[in-house]
Amino acid sequence: MTMPARFLLFVLNLYVYAFVLLISAVAIPALTLFVAFTRLFLSHRGTMKRFRRAISWYGKLITAIPYPFIRLRYEDRSKNGPGEPYIFVSNHRSASDAFLMCVLPHECVQIVNIWPFRIPVLGLYARLSGYLNIRSMSHEQFMSEAKELLSNGVSIIFFPEGTRSASRTMGSFHGAAFRLALESKAAVVPLCIAGNEHIPPKGSLLLRPGTIRVRRLPAIAWDDYKDLNAFTFKNRVWHIIENELSVMESGV
Amino acid sequence: MTEQEIIEKTNKVFEESFEIEKKRLVPEAHIFTDLGLDSLDIVDLIVALQNAFGVQIRAEEKVREIRTLQDIYRFISAIKNEKSKKSS
Repeated sequence: MTMPARFLLFVLNLYVYAFVLLISAVAIPALTLFVAFTRLFLSHRGTMKRFRRAISWYGKLITAIPYPFIRLRYEDRSKNGPGEPYIFVSNHRSASDAFLMCVLPHECVQIVNIWPFRIPVLGLYARLSGYLNIRSMSHEQFMSEAKELLSNGVSIIFFPEGTRSASRTMGSFHGAAFRLALESKAAVVPLCIAGNEHIPPKGSLLLRPGTIRVRRLPAIAWDDYKDLNAFTFKNRVWHIIENELSVMESGV
Repeated sequence: MTEQEIIEKTNKVFEESFEIEKKRLVPEAHIFTDLGLDSLDIVDLIVALQNAFGVQIRAEEKVREIRTLQDIYRFISAIKNEKSKKSS
């Protein structure tokens, strides 16, 4: 990388992180006050719905900051309505993936590992909004809480590779999302994220310019997977996402 | 039932119930690291093996020791031998 290019990258990162901090300092207290205010008039369920919506708004603000250097494109190829709760299953290349989920027009919680709960402020909000830490729960407890969320109309987002792949090669999937689908009969929606492997790259906070595409594929309904076990189901979805990522990376 | 029949039937379970290609089903294949199963998939595997061999597999210590396909062949063989001894 040439010196001017390196300098421009430095300026871009300075601009983005400064604005992320500034907007967070304003938006997080404002959204917290909004949720606290609604609690005076709404039930716990109603408040949680607004709380998760507020988190989605925050995600939209944060992902809009780097525009036009980093563009986020949501491509809905599903034709599925927003009515029912889904189990979203996505590939995972970058730490920014969690923020990209703001494009989904659903009330969602994410299934996370231990470290996102340790992020100052954001970790606390993730915990309060009902994100599930799969590593700290027994299988039975996880299934019970996840099914409860689905029955309340809340969609659940999984990154079943468990860790960031850091490259274009997708890791193998863990089975929890697919066991939850088989037990809850919820439809599974494959999500493909491309273009974000350097935004930021694994082990770094340095953002690089580019276009991130989040492509939503048609939901796989219970009737289509009920005869599969969790292992075959996860591998089928793995292949669906892998094939679509190849298509996306070829420019389509 | 011969050793070869046990191997073929076990491999068929992996091919049909888990959609794993035949070429990957070698005796030394590790069921977790090479074939990609996780601890909870073992429950589905046990059900499929029970149906295929018509045996009852209890969640005993020996099941937890299974790591490779070869371990499964040996495990099924032992159960089959035990069953035929009981019936004779």
